[in-house]
Amino acid sequence: MKQEAIPLPLELDHAGTVDRLERLVQREREGRLQAEAIAERGLRELYDSQVRLALLQRITDCANRSNDFSDAIDEVLKEICEHMSWAFGTAYRVDGGGKVVSCDSWYSAEPARLFPLVEATRERTFASGEGLPGRVLRDAHPHWIDEAELATDFCRRVEAALCGIRSACGFPVLIGDEIVCVLEFFARTAMIDKDAILLTVTQAATQLARVIERERAREALVHDALHDAMTGLPNRTLLDERARAAFDRLADNREGLAVLVIDLDGFKAINDTYGHHAGDIVLIETARRFENVIAARCGGRRRGDQASWRATLARVGGDEFVVVLDALPDPAIARELSGALIEALKAPIAVADEYVNVGLSVGIAHSSTGYATVDQLRQDADLAMYEAKSGGHGGVVTFSEALGAERRSRMAMENELRDAIRERQFTLFYQPIFALAEGPGGSEKLRGFEALIRWNHPERGLVEPGRFIPAAEAGGLIVFIGDWVLREACNAMARLHADLTARGHKPEDLPYISINIAPQQFLQPSFSAHVQRVLLETGVPPERVRLEVTEGVAIIDPDQTRQVLEQVRSWGVQTSLDDFGTGYSSLSYLQNLPFDTLKIDRSFIASMHDPKSRKIIRAILDLASNLNLSVVAEGIETGEQGASLREMGCEFGQGFHLGRPLDEASAFALIWPEGKDTDA
Amino acid sequence: MKGVVFNLLEDAVTRQHGLLAWDSLLDMAGLEGAYTSLGSYPDSEVVRLVGAASTALGLSPGEVLRWFGRSAIPLLFERYPAFFVPHTGAQSFVASINDIIHPEVRKLYAGAGCPHFHFHDLEDGRTGLAYQSPRRMCPLAHGFIEGAADHFGDTVEIEHLSCMLDGHPVCRIALSWSPRAC
Repeated sequence: MKQEAIPLPLELDHAGTVDRLERLVQREREGRLQAEAIAERGLRELYDSQVRLALLQRITDCANRSNDFSDAIDEVLKEICEHMSWAFGTAYRVDGGGKVVSCDSWYSAEPARLFPLVEATRERTFASGEGLPGRVLRDAHPHWIDEAELATDFCRRVEAALCGIRSACGFPVLIGDEIVCVLEFFARTAMIDKDAILLTVTQAATQLARVIERERAREALVHDALHDAMTGLPNRTLLDERARAAFDRLADNREGLAVLVIDLDGFKAINDTYGHHAGDIVLIETARRFENVIAARCGGRRRGDQASWRATLARVGGDEFVVVLDALPDPAIARELSGALIEALKAPIAVADEYVNVGLSVGIAHSSTGYATVDQLRQDADLAMYEAKSGGHGGVVTFSEALGAERRSRMAMENELRDAIRERQFTLFYQPIFALAEGPGGSEKLRGFEALIRWNHPERGLVEPGRFIPAAEAGGLIVFIGDWVLREACNAMARLHADLTARGHKPEDLPYISINIAPQQFLQPSFSAHVQRVLLETGVPPERVRLEVTEGVAIIDPDQTRQVLEQVRSWGVQTSLDDFGTGYSSLSYLQNLPFDTLKIDRSFIASMHDPKSRKIIRAILDLASNLNLSVVAEGIETGEQGASLREMGCEFGQGFHLGRPLDEASAFALIWPEGKDTDA
Repeated sequence: MKGVVFNLLEDAVTRQHGLLAWDSLLDMAGLEGAYTSLGSYPDSEVVRLVGAASTALGLSPGEVLRWFGRSAIPLLFERYPAFFVPHTGAQSFVASINDIIHPEVRKLYAGAGCPHFHFHDLEDGRTGLAYQSPRRMCPLAHGFIEGAADHFGDTVEIEHLSCMLDGHPVCRIALSWSPRAC
């Protein structure tokens, strides 16, 4: 493209040229200055942002490293103050009641010079709207205080002036919309570049908020790990920790610590009847009442002030609670507290439009020099609780040496029983049961046998069940033993039946076998299925099998008891209520539970000479007759007793007078009075 | 030495003596003279320029530096007003040099070696200023202080108690600020 020439001055003399060149130089200078200013601004901004990024990196690193706020805040305050050349920085935590409380974390490069202001700030609390931190809390945004306001309207103005403070600012630390912390800074110069300050401090605050969030998450985790989610009480882990610590703190005499093991009575029935939700309500309400009782008795136990003793209440299992009492001046307090806990549960608990009651079994164990660990103490309290529970009515039992000795012998017995089960040391004896009405031959007719276990102990010989069954029950071994008895008795009866049938006995004349079933065994979920299997496998006719249970099963779980009884009866098995007349003898059980037979307890027979006993026997017989139940009298030891019972209309009986328990061969030989061999 | 010092000297010379005077000084000093505030140049070039000015103006090098310092303050104010804004008087401006101005200088020029001025109270009530630098340019500091006083309309008496130029290990300067006449 062709260009025209730029017009030059017409008359360019020397001076004119110099002028023009000077203007040219001046423009060059201006251009250079502008270029330098632009570059300098860029360099300054680059520097500032690098420094700010480095600061935020350090703060972020610190936030990542720190697990709790108090770790992080000191470093963050230091970094910000150094970065901003501020004289003093401090932080406040927001407390639940709408206040900010100084967390006594602060930084100053010159603490001595800032002393008056630091002292006026540490341990300070500001209400919402009060002072700089209070205003930040109220408004949830940063506040700035300039020199003029600082001198007139600032509540720490005297101290600020003494320290040469010219400006201040406050920033909220937010988690979502919630203010969790307030940061406060003071400077000896004016704070000019508020945008840059805001950018930096806000980002630092975000990092601090992360630390607090993590701290909260961790606290929640720790709390969850140490507390029962349903009741909010300490759980087993926390209880163990505290119990161990309390145990370790005990003085030389080792006194002053007590463990209460508390088990709810009747809880399972509530769960089964009303559902787990109802059970949960009962547990939560129980926990609440317990807490109230303990709080009222030991005063401000959480703060540990007035009260001389401390208590930790924990839920350690389904319906099991434990209280650890620490620094007890008097052991009686444990028993009193137990009584108060029982009392607190007397009032019924509302559950889904109904009111339910639960009782308590409480076991107490007190520390002493005899305990090497708190676990032993806990075990003894457990044992005492079981002792309380075994009474059937709940209540409080304090562990004693006698109880301990009993436990030790029971444990030794349990070990021996395990060997006995393994080595098949048990054997069955059979006691005949007779129809008391005299038969054609003038004597009672044998109708069946009760299977009775004996332990053929390798050293002690035959051991009666009364000597080992309680230990077997306590150790849970009764289930194994009971299953063996059931199967062995059915086997023996099947053998006898086969023998008799081969000899032409009519099926309706075959004797029955009565087998005792322990509550634990009876209430096993698989019990009825097990019975069915045994019946099938042994081939014994179900109607010749009679299962004897005591009232104990019905007390523990009436519904389950009824279901099992109904089920086994549907196969033809007969059911018998053993030891009737002792225990509760609740008529409601008789009404609701399907039994075929009542067995009158031997104690009434033994005291038949007493008219009272005779009246009771008569009442039982009347009752049985009205309910269509047959009756077996146990423990008939004399001919008179047998005759009286016969006169009173008692159909069946057993006892030494009629026939002692005998080994299988001897017992079954009774069916042929003249002797099996001669008849064969 | 930072290029900005050469630029300031050029401006001071040009304002008082004209554009060509600076060119002449460069000639006399045998220097090319292309300086930008963004660059760094050998200290010896300042010394040669001051030497040339000393010859041309008939002043001692110290007097040249002091004149330069005093003249540079208004130029600095034009370039960097932000340094002056927070201060209401020369005394606080001078006192801020270590804490504010030097850090700002370092922002622009990574690794700039700034002299440290140690301020302290003298027994007679004056402000003491101790200064040590291999460049031994205490008259420049003296001039800066006078220029600052000019800028804020303050009066200051400056006394060199000891000087590196006299063979002392440090320069000690006493400043006596007079209350401003309102």
